[in-house]
Amino acid sequence: MSRIKGFCCNYTLSVDIEALKKEGLVPEDLEIERLPCTGRLEVPEILDAFTEGADAVFVVGCQVDKCHNLSGSYRASKRVKYAKKILEELDINPDCVEMFFAGRGETEPVVEAARTMASRVDQ
Amino acid sequence: MMAGSNLENVLRSGTFAVTGELGPPKSGDMEVVRKKARILKGHVDAVNITDCQTAIVRMSSLTAGLIALSEGVEPVMQMTCRDRNRIGMQADILGAAALGIKNLLCLTGDHQKFGNHPQAKGVFDMDSIQLLQMVKGMRDDKKFQCGEEIKKAEPRLFLGCAANPFADPFEFRPVRLAKKVEAGADFVQTQIIYNVEKFKKFMEMVRDLGVHEKCFILAGVTPPKSLGMARYMKKFVPGLDVTDEVIQRLADAKDQKEEGIDICVDIINQVREIPGVAGVHVMAIEWEEAVPEIVKRAGLADRPEPKGIEPVFTSTSAIDEAVEKARQEARLELQGELEKAQAEAQASRELVVKEKEKVASEISGLKKQIEEAKSMVSRKEAEIQKLTEQLQKTKKALEESSTSAASQVSTPQPAAQVQTETVSVASDALTAREKQVLDSLSKGLAALKEVLGLNDAQFEAMKRFLEAEFMLQLGTVVREVAAAPAAPEAPAPEPVAPAQAAAPAEAAPAPEAEAAPERPKEVVNLVAQGNVALHSKDYKKAVELFKKALEISPDDEKAKAGLEEARQALAEEKEAADKAVEVKEVEGLPPCPEEIDPEEWKQKWVVRFTARGNVALMKGDFEAAKKEFQKALELDPDNEKAKDGLKRAENKEDIYIPDVKPGEAAAAAPAPEAEAPKAEEKPAQEEKPAEPAPEEAKKAEEPAPKKEEPPKEEPAKPKPKVEMAAPAGEGVGDLGVAPLPKDEPPLEERAKGIPEDVYKEPCTGVIQSVTLGDGDKAMIVGGETALPFHTFEGDIPNLPRTAFEVLDAPPEEWPECLLKHYSDVVNDSAAWARKCVNEFGAEAICLSLDSTDPNGANVSSADAAQVAKKVIEAVDVPIILWGCGNAEKDTETLREITSLVENRNVCLGPLTDANYRTLGATAMAFQYPVVASTPIDVNLAKQLNILLENLGVHLDHILMDPSIGAVGYGLEYTYSVMERIRLAALTQQDEKLSPPIICNLGREVWKAKETRLPTDAELGDQERRGVLMEAITASTLLLAGGEVAIMRHPKAINLTKVLVEGML
Amino acid sequence: MIIAERKPMKELLGMISGVKRLLIVGCRGCVAVCSAGGDKEVSILAAALKLGVKKAGGDIEIDTDTLVRQCDPEYIEPLNDRGSDYDAVLSMACGVGVNFIGDRCPDVNVLPALNTTFYGANLSSGEWKEMCAGCGACVLHLTGGLCPVARCAKSLSNGPCGGSQGGRCEINPDVDCIWQQIYDKLASMNRKDELREIMPIRDWTTAGHGGPRRRIREDLLP
Repeated sequence: MSRIKGFCCNYTLSVDIEALKKEGLVPEDLEIERLPCTGRLEVPEILDAFTEGADAVFVVGCQVDKCHNLSGSYRASKRVKYAKKILEELDINPDCVEMFFAGRGETEPVVEAARTMASRVDQ
Repeated sequence: MMAGSNLENVLRSGTFAVTGELGPPKSGDMEVVRKKARILKGHVDAVNITDCQTAIVRMSSLTAGLIALSEGVEPVMQMTCRDRNRIGMQADILGAAALGIKNLLCLTGDHQKFGNHPQAKGVFDMDSIQLLQMVKGMRDDKKFQCGEEIKKAEPRLFLGCAANPFADPFEFRPVRLAKKVEAGADFVQTQIIYNVEKFKKFMEMVRDLGVHEKCFILAGVTPPKSLGMARYMKKFVPGLDVTDEVIQRLADAKDQKEEGIDICVDIINQVREIPGVAGVHVMAIEWEEAVPEIVKRAGLADRPEPKGIEPVFTSTSAIDEAVEKARQEARLELQGELEKAQAEAQASRELVVKEKEKVASEISGLKKQIEEAKSMVSRKEAEIQKLTEQLQKTKKALEESSTSAASQVSTPQPAAQVQTETVSVASDALTAREKQVLDSLSKGLAALKEVLGLNDAQFEAMKRFLEAEFMLQLGTVVREVAAAPAAPEAPAPEPVAPAQAAAPAEAAPAPEAEAAPERPKEVVNLVAQGNVALHSKDYKKAVELFKKALEISPDDEKAKAGLEEARQALAEEKEAADKAVEVKEVEGLPPCPEEIDPEEWKQKWVVRFTARGNVALMKGDFEAAKKEFQKALELDPDNEKAKDGLKRAENKEDIYIPDVKPGEAAAAAPAPEAEAPKAEEKPAQEEKPAEPAPEEAKKAEEPAPKKEEPPKEEPAKPKPKVEMAAPAGEGVGDLGVAPLPKDEPPLEERAKGIPEDVYKEPCTGVIQSVTLGDGDKAMIVGGETALPFHTFEGDIPNLPRTAFEVLDAPPEEWPECLLKHYSDVVNDSAAWARKCVNEFGAEAICLSLDSTDPNGANVSSADAAQVAKKVIEAVDVPIILWGCGNAEKDTETLREITSLVENRNVCLGPLTDANYRTLGATAMAFQYPVVASTPIDVNLAKQLNILLENLGVHLDHILMDPSIGAVGYGLEYTYSVMERIRLAALTQQDEKLSPPIICNLGREVWKAKETRLPTDAELGDQERRGVLMEAITASTLLLAGGEVAIMRHPKAINLTKVLVEGML
Repeated sequence: MIIAERKPMKELLGMISGVKRLLIVGCRGCVAVCSAGGDKEVSILAAALKLGVKKAGGDIEIDTDTLVRQCDPEYIEPLNDRGSDYDAVLSMACGVGVNFIGDRCPDVNVLPALNTTFYGANLSSGEWKEMCAGCGACVLHLTGGLCPVARCAKSLSNGPCGGSQGGRCEINPDVDCIWQQIYDKLASMNRKDELREIMPIRDWTTAGHGGPRRRIREDLLP
């Protein structure tokens, strides 16, 4: 079983993650870290997640033009892009990290993101 | 005639010239060059030999040029600046000229990126124009590029250059050609022409410049071999303009090659008609066979008889082979002879060196050897004779059929001549003593000749061998002597007998050569390591290493010398260390830093101790004060100030004793104030507020007047306190702030038992004191000698201050929670200012002239000045006038204001690098303080201060605005810059950074998003949030070294004030 | 400012193979401004190397620090003590910083994390361009402030070569022909006649071809 780590903006995902797990909607080994805003996420945190054993990492931020902090989600997507570049340099599949966007309070995209990443890992 | 080349002859005779092009192979196969040369021979006047065209490695143009020349084809050697520097190029130019090359085409060269070695380093020591200049200088001025004279045989070369009429900028192309001609070009070959119309225009511009009269212009043409090639050239070759017409013609043609040749001929016919065109340059790239046909169809087949083609090497292979064979044989023989001769010379030398008794028998051996040599020489001579005869015969036979073969000369003889020449040249270089040795050698030999009855030939041979040997040895002798000065006298003895004379001279090198290797490797290593240790100042290690070396080899001079040096250094080091310890022990000071003179250091500490004493005195700690003054007197027993201080400490004559006992929270409130008014009072009592910065030494004198102050101060004190507390009482409700409780015991108590040096790090610099405002309400800011709030380390005479920001027009973007406090006065700046002073107890007002911004309301300077005037007249507290940030407009507005209010001491800002001159001059004229504003950088802040000082504005009239970021918006950056400014001023005595710092922070805080978001559950009350952000920003910046904070919210200001007072 | 870029991760991992304790030292000078070696890049590199070493089955302890500058002795000399505790110190300064640590900190095993590329300007976020070659003999007053030494592929002195087409350099259509720009600039200032003057052959001694360079201001010497 793989370990998947997700960083989510506080404004996304309004349902408790444990409940989702119980429902079998998300993989068991999913770990979610909530951030006040994904703009707060830095590249080292993404890399550290891998170092600490994650097989895939995803970030879910607000829609780029709806970020509460204007450009937070846009910044996060750029950092994910740079993290991909570093993973590639380290011979790790860059698809193991991905940026997703979700509307305010939406849980669906987070679930979708977790599943996408899980299927990528399984492949 | 520049060079007398065939091309030059043709061009000067007025004949329409034709040149071709030959690309050397990407191999060492000279047959390729020969084949191409033969195709072109007779159809063109000269052939360009390309120099690694398109940066692909090929046989060098010099070599291929020589091969072409040997085929009777005159080469135009191309030379690019890409691969060689001026040394290599000049060397090749000399070589080319020496071997009969007479035309040189100077090019910058294609970039290496296009070739097969794109990783190569492009040299480009010069460009083609500079290359032309250089070669012209070599030819005409007989000078190398460095200016050194070429003593003989300067390179005579007919110089060419390239020109591209189709590159950009088109108008500059004729100018560039003119530059090339001015630099030295005698002829020009253009880029391939397909667009004849454009070329015509180019030529017209060239004629306008008169360039066509100063050089010969050859139009470049190329037959397109196929449609594909034409398309390729159009698309991919930079600077090549292939017209659509050409493409079309090829596309329509049945036979593309035939059509290509026709196109080329058509273009030749067209360019011939253009005035100023002196010939064509036909470049049939990898299609040399087309050239004869093109030339024929163009009616140019009848080439003038070649003149000036003089190959240094011949062409016919028979002669080549014969010559080569002869040459090789001769070379082998000569080499063999030389080797044998050397061996013999060696043998004979050994014989000579041996005992005199054996001389006779040795001589017979020598004789035998000489006989051998002699017979060999005669054999060789006979063979050479034979070969020469053979050669003569072949030559004669050939001369009849070929003229070009006539100049063949290469036989073994020149080689032999060279040989002898070197010997004689070398002997010219002999020193007198060497000559003397050689002379005596000759004499000895003459004697031998007589004894042995040798004939002249034999004698000559023997002499030559010995001379050769002598020359060989000489090299070694000179080197050896230089390397081993230990026994330079060895070769000196006066030559008496021949044998003796020869012996020492030759024997000398031998022992020398042995002496050096005798130094054991181990010793050498040890000495080397020792030297390294010595060098890195590890003297002890060095001593050890040298000692070890000496154990192995006790007489090693280098080790001895090294040991001596290391020991000496060690002694010196110890002495120095002892000295340092002495100073430390005797004087009880931290060790003096190397860069400071010990005496100066001592004086610094006298001042410091005295200052500490005074501080202690002020605090009423007489014991501590006594100790400090005693320390100072220990260092300088005659210091008056210290003596004075000591006396006072002993008499317990303090300046001011706060009668509050620590720990009493309720009574503590006056304590911070007790010191605060002191600072405020000072400027009011002393008539000159702009006194020089209080130096530590000065403090010793101050206590006296202060002694009398306390009674006066007591009543004065409560005033600000009342004012400050007033808002709290008078219904503005929550604006008041309770003073901080003082529940900590004072530092001296807490630090009891801990040596002062542990927690104190006194500063050596001082912050400027700047006076703001005038009259009773004037305030001094700055003047401290310690870091912010570090009262225990130095003097902080003045509290950090706050100023209320007042706008010159109703604020547009202030949130309601801030605006509500001023809602009754926003339309009248004067009333606003009055309200701040009367109601909120403002210490100072900052009038922001935001409405003057040309990008905003753009209120005229005159109108703004009227508003400012009213504000200034309305209040008596210090006023800071803050422009809109547009350098030009601010200059205008602030000048306008000063003309209205010249009798009030206002502070002008912001001065930036764009307007500091004009505003600085204004401020200087009225002696106003100014705000020097820079974008958040220590060096920029310093630079502006220096600029202002150079202008004549004193540092004590400057407040620095380092540009502020609010909390959450770059506060930490501002903090670190301010901290660095302050540390530079206080700890590094950087005077240029010593003005106080002003922080215009209210505007930054209240434009932050967080102060504007409405009250909600998550973020809490909006007003409280804003107030805290402003107060936190302010207190942080004051901790970083700010002296004045310009703020907006009254509550935030009160919070800040209370914090300041609580801390001091 | 001096522009640099991080070396490829694989090269860096190769460099630190066998290193158990590593100190990454950034620089807040030019390399911080060009986003190659400031605080942020230090933390990213530390995380990336940890991940890279872990992936290769190794183990490494990485500490980080960022100095104000690495080209002044006061900032780097403390490294000699501190850095000697580490198997290696990976400097994220330009080559100057690495050299200076090499010079001043004999006990430190210093390694370079960056390739120092050129002196350039920041065109826009994430894009830098070479502007100066540090040749030591400035001719910008003759060329409208545009440098032919640094910005011409062949460092030409006397105008554009035959490869200048439509304002572009022949080596790459993305590269401007600086001589076209110089010509246009001087033409716009009515100064194009100045380009008729032949600029003489250059003296490259000041460009480092006279050996390593140094600068001294007597009045500032201690």
